[in-house]
Parts: sequence; C-alpha cells; structure tokens
Amino acid sequence: MLKVENLDVRYGAIRAVNGISLEVNKGEMVALLGANGAGKSSTLLAVAGALKAASGRILLDGEDITALPPERIVRRGIAMVPETRDVFPDLTVMENLRLGGYIHRHDGQGNSEDLARVMDLFPILKERGEQAAGTLSGGEQQQLVIARALMSRPRLLLLDEPSLGLAPKIVDQIFALIDQMRSMDITILLVEQNATQSLQLADRAYVLSLGQVAASGKASEILKATDIKAIYLGQETRKKKKKSRKR
Amino acid sequence: MSQLLQFTIDTLSLGSLYALMALGLVIVYGILRLVNFAYGELIMVAGYTLYLLSASPVPWLFMAFTAVLMSIFAGIATERVAFRPVREKSVTAVLITSFAFSTLLQNAALLFISPRARVVPLPDVFSQTVEIAGAVVPLRNILTILCAVLLLAGFALLLKKTVLGIALRAAASQFRMARMLGVPANLVISVAFAISGFFAGIVAIFWLGRIGSVLPGIGLGPLLVAFIATVIGGMRSLLGAVVGGYLLAFIDVSLAHLLPSNLLQFRDAFTFTLVIFILLWRPDGLVRGPATGQRT
Amino acid sequence: MTSATRSSVIGTLVILTVPVVLALVISEALGIRVVDRIATIFCINLVLVLGLQVFMGNSGILSFAHVGFMGIGAYASAVLSMPLQMKGMALPELYPIVKAIEISPYLGMVVGGLVAAGVAAAVSYPLMRLSDAAAVITSFALLVVLHTIMVHWHQMTNGPRTLFGVQSATTLYIAAGVAILMIFIALIFRESRTGILLRAARDDEVAAGAIGTNISNMRWRGFVLSAFMAGIGGALWAHFITSFSPNAFYLKETFVILGMLVIGGAGTVSGAVLGAFVVTAAFELLRLIENSINLSGVLPTQLVGLTEIALACAMIGILIVRPSGIISAREVAFPDALRRYLPGTHFTRPKQSRSADEGGTQ
Repeated sequence: MLKVENLDVRYGAIRAVNGISLEVNKGEMVALLGANGAGKSSTLLAVAGALKAASGRILLDGEDITALPPERIVRRGIAMVPETRDVFPDLTVMENLRLGGYIHRHDGQGNSEDLARVMDLFPILKERGEQAAGTLSGGEQQQLVIARALMSRPRLLLLDEPSLGLAPKIVDQIFALIDQMRSMDITILLVEQNATQSLQLADRAYVLSLGQVAASGKASEILKATDIKAIYLGQETRKKKKKSRKR
Repeated sequence: MSQLLQFTIDTLSLGSLYALMALGLVIVYGILRLVNFAYGELIMVAGYTLYLLSASPVPWLFMAFTAVLMSIFAGIATERVAFRPVREKSVTAVLITSFAFSTLLQNAALLFISPRARVVPLPDVFSQTVEIAGAVVPLRNILTILCAVLLLAGFALLLKKTVLGIALRAAASQFRMARMLGVPANLVISVAFAISGFFAGIVAIFWLGRIGSVLPGIGLGPLLVAFIATVIGGMRSLLGAVVGGYLLAFIDVSLAHLLPSNLLQFRDAFTFTLVIFILLWRPDGLVRGPATGQRT
Repeated sequence: MTSATRSSVIGTLVILTVPVVLALVISEALGIRVVDRIATIFCINLVLVLGLQVFMGNSGILSFAHVGFMGIGAYASAVLSMPLQMKGMALPELYPIVKAIEISPYLGMVVGGLVAAGVAAAVSYPLMRLSDAAAVITSFALLVVLHTIMVHWHQMTNGPRTLFGVQSATTLYIAAGVAILMIFIALIFRESRTGILLRAARDDEVAAGAIGTNISNMRWRGFVLSAFMAGIGGALWAHFITSFSPNAFYLKETFVILGMLVIGGAGTVSGAVLGAFVVTAAFELLRLIENSINLSGVLPTQLVGLTEIALACAMIGILIVRPSGIISAREVAFPDALRRYLPGTHFTRPKQSRSADEGGTQ
C-alpha cells in the first residue's frame, strides 16, 4: 500500500532521514522504532506531506505522492496524528472533529454518521463536546487527535508517539484503541518509543537509527531476537557522536 | 447630557471604522504572521474606483458595490504578487515585498490619475444630520455604527458556524495541522486576503464619506490606525483588533477634547509612543491570541 | 579578529572601494555637472545603505526607523552649522542658545551622527528584545514619532515647511571619503565579536541565547552604530541638497534606501555597495528620462512616480528570485592569486574566514 524508497529529509544542513526505505501492506500494522532523533517523526511527516523530501520517493498504491502538499495527501486516504498533539486549542472539541471531516464536508450525512461512530469510540469527547480543546487533559487531547484523524476516513493512519507523556493507565487505553482500529480495516504505521508494547501489537517493525533502517522484520522476531534496550543504548552513544559532529 | 451623547456617538462611529480597519489587517496577520504593508492601498483602490465611476450614470449603491469588489480583488492580487512567491522563503522578504507593492500601487495612482485629491461621489444621506436628544449627529456616523455592528456579527457567525470559518480559525493557530486535515493552504490564505479586502472596501466607503476625496497617500492613515489598534488589542486575536479599534477611537476622541491645541498636533507622536509602551509591557497586546502557532 | 579574517576584510574593502573610486574618476574625467551630482548622490546613498546594513544585515530585523535618524542628523548638522545671520531668517523661532552657535559643517556632520546615535541609544534599548512583526511595527512607530516631531518642532526644523539656507559643504571628494570610511566600519563591525554574535542570533535566536549571548544588548549596539551612520549620511545629504523639509525623511526615502539594500543583499556589506550603486544609477537615469519627457511636453500630463514603480517592480522581482538579494551570504573576496599582493597582510587561505560566513545563508 505504502512504499517509501530511499527517503532523505533535511532540516537545513542537518540530515534527519538518510535513505530510509520501508513498506506497509494493506491491513498491516507496522511499527517504527528507535531512539530520539532517529528520524521516525520526520519520516511520518514526509509521508504526510508536511515535510518536503530532499530526495527519494513515496508511493501510495503505486502512485508517486512525494511532491503532493499535505492537503492533497489526506484526500488520498492518509491521515496523520502528530506527536505534538496539535489540537486547535481555541476551537471546541466538536469544531475540532468537524474540521477532521473537512474533506468530506459536502457529505453531511456521512460526516454525522462518522461523528456518531467516533463518539461511541471516545465517549469522553461527547461529554467535552463544547469545551475548548486546549482545556482537555493530555490523554483526552490524544483521543481527540486520533478521533479527528478518523473523521477523514483514512485507509492509512500515521500515528506519531501516541503514548508520549501519558500516564501508564491511559497508555493502555490508547493501545487498546489502536488495536480496535485495526479491526476497522485501517492500515497503521505507528511510531513509538514504547517498543515492547507496540511490538506486541504490530505485525512488522523497522528499527531506525541515525536516519537509517538498522533492522527490520516480523514484530515477534524483532521482539525475540533483539535486546531492545541494547539497541536503544547503542543508539544513545552513537547519537552523542552525531551531536558532537554537528557542533 | 447631549454632550455626552455626542461624545459617545463620535467615539462609537470612529471606533467602528478603526475596528474594521484593524480587523482587515489582523485577519491576514493571524493566519500568516505577516504584516501586509499594502493594506492601506486597498482602501485607496476602492476610493479611486468610486472616483472613476463618478462620471457614469449608474446608481451610487452600484458604485459602492463595485468599489468594495475592486478592493477585494486588490487584496487577492496583493497576495498573489507580494506574498505567495516569497511566503515560504523569508519573513523579511515578505514585509519588503508588501511594502514595495504598496509603493507600486500608490505611484500607479500618482502616474495614471493625479497626485492631487479627487472628489468622490457620495449619496445625500452622508451629508444629512439627525437630532438625537439634543445632539446633532451626522447620519453617516449612525450608518457607520450600524454597518459595523452588522458586519462584525456576520463575521463572527461566519467564523463560528461555517466549516470555512472553523478552518480559518484553525489555520490561524496551527497552520500545518489544518493542512494535514485537508484544508488547502492557498484557499485559506486567499480567503483571508479577500476578507481583508472586503473590510478595506467597506472602510473606504465610510472613511471617504468623512473626508470626501481620495489621493494616492490616503492609505497611510488607516494603515497606521490599524497598526496601533492591533498592537493595543493583540496582534493575534480578532476580538483584540476590535477592542483595540474602539479603544483607540476613545483615546483619539478624548485627546481631541482634552489636549490643548498646541499639543494636539503631536497627537500621532503621543499615540505611537503609547504603542511602543504597550508593546513593551505586553508584546502580545491586551487580548491574547491562540496559544501556539507556526508559519506555513 | 584572526589574521585570516583581517586579510579578507582588507581584500573586500579594496574591492568595494572600486565603485566609489570609479564614480569619482568618471566624474572628474567627464567634468559634467550631472555626473558629478549623481556620483555624489551615490556616495551619500551608500553611507545611508551601509548604516541600515549594519543593523538589518547582521541582526536580521527590518528597521523602518533608519530614515528618521537620517533626518535627525540632517537637521542637527544643518541648524548648528547655519551662518548666524541666516538663522534669524530661516528659523525665526530658534532657541537663543542654538542661535548663538555656528560650527563648521564638517564638525556638524560628526555632531549630526552623534546626536542621531544618542537619540537611538536612549529610545531603542527596550525595543531590542522584540522580534518579528512586533519589532517591525515598533520601528515603524518610531519613524512616525520622529517624523511627527520633525514636522511640528517649528523652533528647530521650521515645521513642515522647507528649511532654507543650509551651508553647502558636501563635495564629491568628501562624500566618497566618508563612504569608504563607512564601508570599512561596516566590514569591521560584521567581523567583530558583536557582529558575529548578532549573525548567530539572527540564524538561531534560541541557540544564541543559550550560549549566554545578551541578544538585546548586541542588537542595541548595532542599532546605535546604524543610527550614527544614518545621522552622518543625513548630514552629508543636508549639506549637499541645502534645502529640505521633513517629508524627505519619511516612507519614500525609506523605500529607496531599503530597496537598495534588499536588491543588493542585506546580509553583506558587498550587497549594500552593489545595491546602492545599481539602484542609484538606475534611479537617476529613470529620473532623468522622466524629467526630460516632462520638460519636452510630449505628453499632455506630467509623469510622476514612474521611477518608484520601476524600483518597486525590481525589488519584488529580486526578492522572488533571490529572497536574500544579489550578494546574499558571502562578501566578495579577493581572488586567491592576488591576495599576496595586498598591503600589510601575509598570504592565508581564505578558508577560515569563510566558515564564519556560512552561517549567513538564510
């Protein structure tokens, strides 16, 4: 479904992603793992069109979408849930959700059905409907951005660190939700630091390091074969080197 | 009593104009974080449209309508010429291109029309007065207030109730995220400039109703007013722009009543010094805008 | 400053002096008054543009107030150097203390620069912590305040009316000399500690703040130096044109000076020189054409504003194609092969000095 070939992403002179290739098949859930600064988020943002690829290609169902702007990519069925949890703080929860269905705004009935479904899935959002989104708790905001992404009826959902900064109990809830979304025929590309938990859910995984793919394979194999901590620690030391090089 | 009423109506009508001026500037700033220095020239464009149509036999309302339309058109043109090509490259570049575009429009008016003021056609109601509780008030002041109230209410409704309005507000706080939900960047920006032009056009009608003629430099006054009002009220908040507009009118009208005439000529210096102080005290203005925001 | 930097500064200075010297030589060779006039205007413009470059180029903050300081310098020098017998006529309301003073116009130019710098130093410090739009709007506000004061301070400026009787003192040689001196100052400032830190802050404010740079203070220094140069430029202009009104120091002049800097490239001194050269030449040429058309009476109406339109189009065009101007990040450098012949420097590869410049790419 999604194919990334030799993707490069740069911020000025700094290379965040350095020739990453990966593939996500229909119905799969694929996890992208790696330490801070490994290039996970940049990869997702590039797929979503929010960052321009310096080189390489991004294909969706065989079509090149590399150069498309974000507003066109979401129309192709890719929805992004960014790690920064970008709710629109001054808009109410309902308005946030309405905007999620922006690309289907001429399909009023479909949108209200979606809204009802999403509300079932996230009952708390119904309760908070008229509240400004900026006043929600972290966990509620995370639910809101996921719900908002679902309103665009995505085929492929890009989830960036959904568990970041949340209490363990809420994290469990979020992972349960992600699992539930798989049953809704949504393909998922998940970026996580919480490696163990995401590997338990995912079908396959890629481990990124310094903007490159360091390992890939079935999630169960990666979970078994690799000492996760070692990968992270190993990357940790290498990351420091990278930093000192930047200076 | 009648003096107080006079003062109130003066303040409210001037404030309505100032609020609309400020709103037109801030709608663009809120979304792009960029100051449009050519904003005053949108008012100039509307003014010259009125002047050019004055010889034609069409009814005045049609002239006014065309003037507003031209101003909207000029707003969109500003975006195409001065903003879109450089928007993503450099902030300073955009400030300078909009300044250059402003000079371009002004000098085009100088070259093709005249450096001298030109009288614009105005309907009779603009020169009539009414007496309310002993105070003699120009009818156009009442019209200004009514029109502004209607426009502000309509604009609030647009922002609150329509998907486009919600998209505009969303883009003002998280532009990139709004795009990732499918809101086209160019649409939002063009709409913002069109609204800016619309307000400028309306302002032009009533502003010219006060001063009666148009000249190439006419935009500077409203631009300065819009600057001060938005800075006082809050650069990032539409409500702040409106509040700032009315507050500035209150200050202006009060100063006109209070200051001795030899100091009155320094009024601009006073108000601008005030602006500098307000910016130092609260760089975000009196009304805070959306919490976060990044540029395109 | 390392010796490598010093040698590259001298190299750049030598190259940048060329257009000034060229203007001088051509004017002397031709001996035509118009050419002499244009060459002088170029040198004065250059001083003004360099002044703006010192602040804007290094700090990255757009300043509208610059021309206001030019006005301060112009009025200060003009009034102080005005012959005593003229003062009664030109400025009847002048304060008695000032009425008694008459200084040489050359001293007046220095005083003009100092007064402008003093005003800038006094009012600008709190403004320097603002960035982006807030900084631009406050500088705009500052220009309006300065302009309003010039228009209404009858005693010192003759109000909105034209001030006559200013001593004529600016010759081409003086203007060229000052211009070369200013090129030198701008180059030195760029490579000074303050200049380097300012440029670092321009490219990444957070990072520069994190290494303990007091950005406001650095900007303030740049701003005061910039105002000083603007004041001197204004004084030069005043003693060249000999009669002027406050409207000379407002948006139109701002636009022209800004246009020169932007077209040439605000990030570099070389850009400022190139911009002043190209734009002055084009501007004066267009004005000449405009005037001769108007005088010939070919057209039924007077042509006005054509020059400004052309400049505006050029500015927009340049910014679309090259947002940071023709010479964007790196100063023009002396060709390696010739460096050894530079006076007073030993040959060094220019590599080290470049690394400092590379941060300037916007």
